[in-house]
Amino acid sequence: MAYLEMIEILKRFPGVLANDRVNLSVERGTVHAVMGENGAGKSTLMAILCGLQAADDGHVRLAGGTLLLRSPLDAIDQGINMVHQSFKLFDSLTVWENVVYQREPTWGPFIHARRARQEVTRLAAEHDLAIDPDARVAALPVGVRQRLEILKALYRRTRVLVLDEPTAVLTPPEVASLFQVMRRLAAAGCTVLLVTHKLDEALSVSDRITVLRAGRVSAELVTANTGPAEIIQAMTGRSSLRPVNRSQVTPGAVALAVNRLSVDAAGHRAVTNVSLEGRGGEIVGIAGVAGNGQSELIEAIMGLQAAATGSIQVGSRDVTRRSVAERRRAGLSYIAEDRARTASAAAASATDNLAMGFHARAPIARRGLMSRAAMRLWARRLIDAFDIRIRSETELVGRLSGGNLQKLVIARELAHQAPVLIAEQPTRGVDVGAIEFIHAELIAERDRGRAILLVSAELSEILALSDRIVVMYRGAVAAQFRREEASEVALGAYMMRGRALS
Amino acid sequence: MSSASVAISMRLAPWLGPLRSMLRLGGSLLLGFAACAGIALCVGIDPRLMLSAWLKGAVEGPQVFETVARSMPLVGMAVAAAVPLRAGIVNLGADGQLVLGGCAAAIVALYLPVPAAVRLPMALVLGATAGGAYGMLAALGELYARVPLLLSTWLLTYPAKGLCGYLVRAPLRDPITAWPSSYRIEPAARLPQLLHGTPLNDGLIIIAVLAMLVVLLDRYTAVGYEIRMRGLNQRFALYGGVALGRQTLWLMAASGALAGLVGAIMVLGSQYRFTDGALTAPQYSWSGMLAALLAGGEPLGAVVAAILFAALQTGGFAMERSVEIPRVLTMVLESMVILFLAMRGATWRRLR
Repeated sequence: MAYLEMIEILKRFPGVLANDRVNLSVERGTVHAVMGENGAGKSTLMAILCGLQAADDGHVRLAGGTLLLRSPLDAIDQGINMVHQSFKLFDSLTVWENVVYQREPTWGPFIHARRARQEVTRLAAEHDLAIDPDARVAALPVGVRQRLEILKALYRRTRVLVLDEPTAVLTPPEVASLFQVMRRLAAAGCTVLLVTHKLDEALSVSDRITVLRAGRVSAELVTANTGPAEIIQAMTGRSSLRPVNRSQVTPGAVALAVNRLSVDAAGHRAVTNVSLEGRGGEIVGIAGVAGNGQSELIEAIMGLQAAATGSIQVGSRDVTRRSVAERRRAGLSYIAEDRARTASAAAASATDNLAMGFHARAPIARRGLMSRAAMRLWARRLIDAFDIRIRSETELVGRLSGGNLQKLVIARELAHQAPVLIAEQPTRGVDVGAIEFIHAELIAERDRGRAILLVSAELSEILALSDRIVVMYRGAVAAQFRREEASEVALGAYMMRGRALS
Repeated sequence: MSSASVAISMRLAPWLGPLRSMLRLGGSLLLGFAACAGIALCVGIDPRLMLSAWLKGAVEGPQVFETVARSMPLVGMAVAAAVPLRAGIVNLGADGQLVLGGCAAAIVALYLPVPAAVRLPMALVLGATAGGAYGMLAALGELYARVPLLLSTWLLTYPAKGLCGYLVRAPLRDPITAWPSSYRIEPAARLPQLLHGTPLNDGLIIIAVLAMLVVLLDRYTAVGYEIRMRGLNQRFALYGGVALGRQTLWLMAASGALAGLVGAIMVLGSQYRFTDGALTAPQYSWSGMLAALLAGGEPLGAVVAAILFAALQTGGFAMERSVEIPRVLTMVLESMVILFLAMRGATWRRLR
């Protein structure tokens, strides 16, 4: 019988079924990979396992007993520990202080520092984790901090260790040493769950793989008997969308030209030397696993983030050093990925939200004076045209569902009739009906001669809509395809490894 | 107070309707008065006596004029605080801008070699300009050197106070005064009285007109729309094409100019000389900031709150004289009202 079992886990969020009766069973002393695209439900599943979220139905069994997980503390008491992507450490404290935190060996009311330090040193030696117990966390490189997180879990007598995308922040040698640690822990009887969407990692370190897609288990594989193609297939699946009607349009003039653009974000180079162009009547799809520089690229094109090197041209104008307003005037419109935080103001009415960008010109404003009536009329028109379900145009948009808010953002950005439209994850978290509507709108805009840059982590969406496809991997363009040449397997390989299947 | 106050103002900003906000304000006021009554009980004073002295002192007979007179600087400083707060920017340097404005106005009114009738408007304009430029300086610091406005506005207060204090101690000092002051401004260069026998002067009209203008700008213009949207979600404003840097600059200039103008009006209209510390001692900028916070940056609300505070403070003076309760209690009340409002916002949110 399996050591850890998650049985019929059901978790529903407003509008989304995140986990649809998911079963996961893991043998003791193995490394088990949990794979899936963004939004497939793997984070939710792990959050339930670690007591961060409560499942609506189903239960978790460990070593034959059913667990009651009401909080992360319950999970930790049961020996289930998670190493998050962003580490939870006290930067100003030392390694051993971080390890023993809340479980300090005491001497009366005091912390027994010598014993705590000895214990940490012994544990590190036992598991062959090279770490200086007296180092301050702030001075440690990322790979060592991760080792410290693992040590912390071991100190708490972990039985199940969950690593959430642990290699995202590591250099290749650090990845290699992490994998050794994982194998050793498994050999010592610890059960390791590896959450990842990186193919090579799952293949090289795991014993078994469970793949999730759209909240369901799409494959349960034994690593030794599988290969990249099968996993990609299971992760992305076939397009369940209705085939989109596409007419043949001959691309027009270059509307957007990005030339050798590099962007620095948070101290590292997020985008390296990216060149691409968009022509009128063409959808250019930017594929890639989230976090490979797509957001930074788009923000640099829009002017929300500064470019380090390179240039951006809209029409015939160089806008590299221009403000967002000037770029919009030059011909950009933008459906931002984060509709609630960037593309709308939750505490403002639909009228106010729909007026943004139109607020200083006729018919809404004349000589700087805005007309409330004209604003209402404008909002009403867009709400009707895009069938936005809202009680009245004065309602605050913070109350709208994800799909309706997205429609509102799209309505406003399309109304600009700008030559270039950037659509970033336009259907994320949106229900199926809205997805079809949004896809149809994008195609219609393309047919009207708009140049569209479509960023999406959904391969099926990229393949359904794009005329050309650019794959981004680690901030650079890994490959370019024409639509006819592209397949899910070929794209998937570049997305997950930056190179073709071998 | 820094980020906490921003958080509070942001929380208060999206009041759902005027009715609900009035109810909340009324409730908080009642709670504040109840707390003050409790304090009175503790020191053995009949709270009914205290409250009646307080209210009578605010509105009875000629006291009304005192309240109105006090409204001028309070409304001015409240609007000065509300203008940037509407966009989520906190100007903690109003005191410095106020002092510079007053000092510049005094210098112009005393020394500019032009007829007195010309000196008066020039003193007002240059007072506002001095305050505005000083506000802008803090904004430039944030835009070009990334010094947070919260810090720069606040810290720039001290050099301004120091400079003006020096000027009236050494080069501009009127030697016959006991306290470091400039010379007295001649009557022809003063702001005329509005009603004889009352402390009201024409500055009241200037501030009233400007406050109204700010309310109209906020409601009916594209500039006001951009400011409001930034206050609701700065990233959304940036995304939509609002030039945040330029906006910060002008908001701080406007805020500083309003504060400087209040200083100029106080010097030209009631004090007739620039005296070290006289402009800042009543803490108008602090009360103005509280009034602006109370209204979540909405200018009309800030004006109403400022008038309310003026009444409370005038009443407090009278109360101090008649029942010997120190008027510090008015500050306690003002603070309590804000705290009760903020608290309700938080608990209400959690329960939802």
